[in-house]
Amino acid sequence: MEQHHNMPGARFVDPKVLARIGNLELLARTVVEGFINGLHRAPFFGASIDFAEHRGYVAGDDIRRVDWRLYARTDRYYVKQYEADTNTNVSILLDVSRSMQFASRGSVSKLDYACYVGACLAYLAQRQRDRVGMISFDQDIVSHVPPSAKHFNVVLHTLDRARAERSGNLAVPLNKMAEHFKRRGILVLLSDFYEEPESILEAVKPLKFLGNDLIVFHVLDDAELNFGYEDASSFEDLESGEQVPVVPESLVKEYRAMINAHIESLTTKFSEHRIDYTVLNTSEPLDRALFSYLSSRERLMRVR
Amino acid sequence: MSFLTPLFFAGLGSLAIPVLIHLIQREKKHVVQFPSLMFVRRIPYQSVRRRRIRHWFLLLLRAAAIALIVAAFARPFLRQNAAAQVISGGAREVVILLDQSASMGYGDHWTRAQSAAHSAVDGLGADDKATLVLFAKNAEENMRATSDRFRLNGAINAARVGSGATRYGPALKLADSILARSSLKRREVVVISDFQKTGWSGSEEVRFPDGVVVKTVSVASPDAANLAVPSVSFARASFSGQERITVTAGLSNKGDAPLKDVPVTLTVDGHEIESVRATVPPRAAGSVTFTQFTLVGPNVRGSVHAGSDPLPADNVFHFVLSPAVPVSLQIVNGAEGSSDASLFLAKALSIGTNPLFQIDVTTASRATPTSFDKRAVIILNDTMFPPAGGAGALKKFVERGGGLLVVSGDRTSWPQGATSEADLFPGKLGPAVDRTSGRGATLGFLDYSHQVFEVFKAPRSGDFSAAHVFKYRTLQPGPNDRVLARYDDGAVAAAERKVGAGRVIVWTTTLDDSWTDIAVKPVYLPLVQQLARYLANYETPTSWMTVGQVLDLAARAKTKSDRIVVTPSGQRMTQRGTSESGAEGLLELNEQGVYEIRPAGATSGRPESIAVNLDPPESDLAPLDPAELVATVTGHATAVVSEPVAAQEMTREEAERRQSLWWYLLLGGLFLLAVETMISNHLSRKEKFL
Repeated sequence: MEQHHNMPGARFVDPKVLARIGNLELLARTVVEGFINGLHRAPFFGASIDFAEHRGYVAGDDIRRVDWRLYARTDRYYVKQYEADTNTNVSILLDVSRSMQFASRGSVSKLDYACYVGACLAYLAQRQRDRVGMISFDQDIVSHVPPSAKHFNVVLHTLDRARAERSGNLAVPLNKMAEHFKRRGILVLLSDFYEEPESILEAVKPLKFLGNDLIVFHVLDDAELNFGYEDASSFEDLESGEQVPVVPESLVKEYRAMINAHIESLTTKFSEHRIDYTVLNTSEPLDRALFSYLSSRERLMRVR
Repeated sequence: MSFLTPLFFAGLGSLAIPVLIHLIQREKKHVVQFPSLMFVRRIPYQSVRRRRIRHWFLLLLRAAAIALIVAAFARPFLRQNAAAQVISGGAREVVILLDQSASMGYGDHWTRAQSAAHSAVDGLGADDKATLVLFAKNAEENMRATSDRFRLNGAINAARVGSGATRYGPALKLADSILARSSLKRREVVVISDFQKTGWSGSEEVRFPDGVVVKTVSVASPDAANLAVPSVSFARASFSGQERITVTAGLSNKGDAPLKDVPVTLTVDGHEIESVRATVPPRAAGSVTFTQFTLVGPNVRGSVHAGSDPLPADNVFHFVLSPAVPVSLQIVNGAEGSSDASLFLAKALSIGTNPLFQIDVTTASRATPTSFDKRAVIILNDTMFPPAGGAGALKKFVERGGGLLVVSGDRTSWPQGATSEADLFPGKLGPAVDRTSGRGATLGFLDYSHQVFEVFKAPRSGDFSAAHVFKYRTLQPGPNDRVLARYDDGAVAAAERKVGAGRVIVWTTTLDDSWTDIAVKPVYLPLVQQLARYLANYETPTSWMTVGQVLDLAARAKTKSDRIVVTPSGQRMTQRGTSESGAEGLLELNEQGVYEIRPAGATSGRPESIAVNLDPPESDLAPLDPAELVATVTGHATAVVSEPVAAQEMTREEAERRQSLWWYLLLGGLFLLAVETMISNHLSRKEKFL
């Protein structure tokens, strides 16, 4: 995962700078174009609509799909199979629970960051003629944009309006979504996952049921990862409002150990279930998210 | 404890500073919003470390240091007297009147009074001045206005119960004059007494100015029972040339319970003569008569003791008896052998026992100058001027202190002209006036202020108007002569002239039944005896005196030598016999018991003795309401205290400045801070995270 650092041009504009771009489409284009240009080659584009294989005709097959030229040569009915779903549904599942609005000093909030990522991925998908949709949720589903080739702007608009207002819960909205998805597609889940790894997995697993491709982005602020506080203060839980007096010096070590253990645990569990899992630090550029997405797409094709 | 600037106590709020530092330090400054405390909450111990106070000692040290510093800024000062705290305002001039009269010897009255005086002294502030006045009948400034509590307490301890009677007037007047001298604004009188009713007549003209606070401390016991021997009387009888005395002692029971079978003992010259038992009803008096005893000589000391009670001083009564000394009289008659002329006079005078009159009757022609010498009184009863009285002999007799009574009649004559005898006669004798025509003359005016007629002053005590005078000699009194009586027509009936130490009285009518019938009237006997007693300058010998009386030793003494006085307590004093001022011859009797007076150098013979007893009212312990006394002397029924506010401010600051307690508090606070710094440095070196 460290390779992007070595990639020329892979360092995009800093998220803080991006934050000044009010227009998500512009932002996404800036990021994605820069990203693509930086890669120099785009091995994943343009290969998806083509023929895949032939198989023998069976009763019930659409006769329109019979390869008549092959029939002319072999006198047998073969059905031509194409890369049927090259343009897939991409759904961005955005956690808008209140903890997402957190921003340590001088950085963009996790929600904003998640929106940028979402917008960029939507743009990428749009560029690939994928259908783009999105669902935002906290303890329930907040907004829903069904995947569609025409919904790119709607998605951007919805992302733009997303506000973290309520406390969150993964299980309820994710279960609802799992029931809702009828078609396989790529699901991009953006959340800060403040739950026990077991319950997170329990909530996320159903999304895989239809064979969806699930990409999980764990969006965390640098402060959450490194706990760079110095002054003893009252810490207020953004979701519950509970306040706890904290002397950072005294618990920073333990905290870091815990958050790392948490991430470690998630990494292990997600990989066990073949779910892509990436931790995003909001102080870092967006390329890691994009790279993660694209590599996922690549693997998807290779697996085929 | 008071504070000059109590507002600084708001600074005590800073006590919270170390507590806050300990508890929350800076975490209350801002609230950090954090997405989730999921992990933070799992480290409860670390997160609450600050909340626990680990070094209580340090915290207490810091809090104490701050409290001390704040208290120092509040400028505290002490006030000892809690009662005075409210009305505080400047130094006080306090006069402590401590009753040391004999009645204070009752039970524990004196100890209580002393402790009350001590507490009054202890209540004094640093600038207060107090004067200790011990009083009984008189008041004495024992300790002049001083702030020295040690000396005041010493003076109180040294004070003893005296034998004097209680009089509040002099003490209060003294207090008033002490307060008047004082420059201090707040003035206070503390009266510590048993508040005997007898000591306060209510008419003492004591009135304190406004602003003087009178406090009273009564040590009186309710229902105090007391048995006293207030008086002793003597009946004298002559028996075969010796005098026999019957002593009757009066007893008074001032208590509410009857006293039964009280032993009453008569002691004479140290020997117990008799002891009888007496019963005295409650609040009543009784008497005990002892059997006769023979008086063997002069200055015989005796005493009567009765029972025992908490006030022993008045259970004893001292007296000194001497054989009666008769008054020697010479009656000079006119006519030869007419002793009948002085029959009435001689008979009337011989009846007296107090004093006994030793009467010698002679005629003018037989009288000799030497016969005048040993006499106290010479009565010229209707006679010519005795030849023996010529050549200044009679004048000398009078000038030495003798008494001369000239009873005028037909035969009365007096040398006129430039003779020395002429000066003796009070006025100029005129011819006789005959008043037989009517009902006769009566005595219309009597000078009751004169000693002779004083006994007749009271109503129905001597009816002179019953006596008729049918004839009298006219008298033209001189300008310096005192007219003692006049007839109803204004003529002089009696006149007096004082010559040297003696006295001359002229009676312008006879003292027999020839010119007047006064000799058969009831007033005759007392009149004649009064005249004789007055002219003899007779004083009833006293068997005792009371405490507080002053004895004129110079007048008593026959010789002019020095005298030694031994007081009942055994103290010896030397009294100068010759003194120009005269004051040195005075001896104030302020102890109960028997004083002995003897000439200096005399070793033999019975000394002259003076028995001194308590003032009888002192035995009456019935208390007065102290409020009544306070109301009378202050003019307010209740104590009114008005303090000038300005003075109050001044004195608070003054008190604070003098005590300078803030200085110690500040030093203490800084010291604690230094200790705190050392300890906390030490601790923080030991544990990195504080």
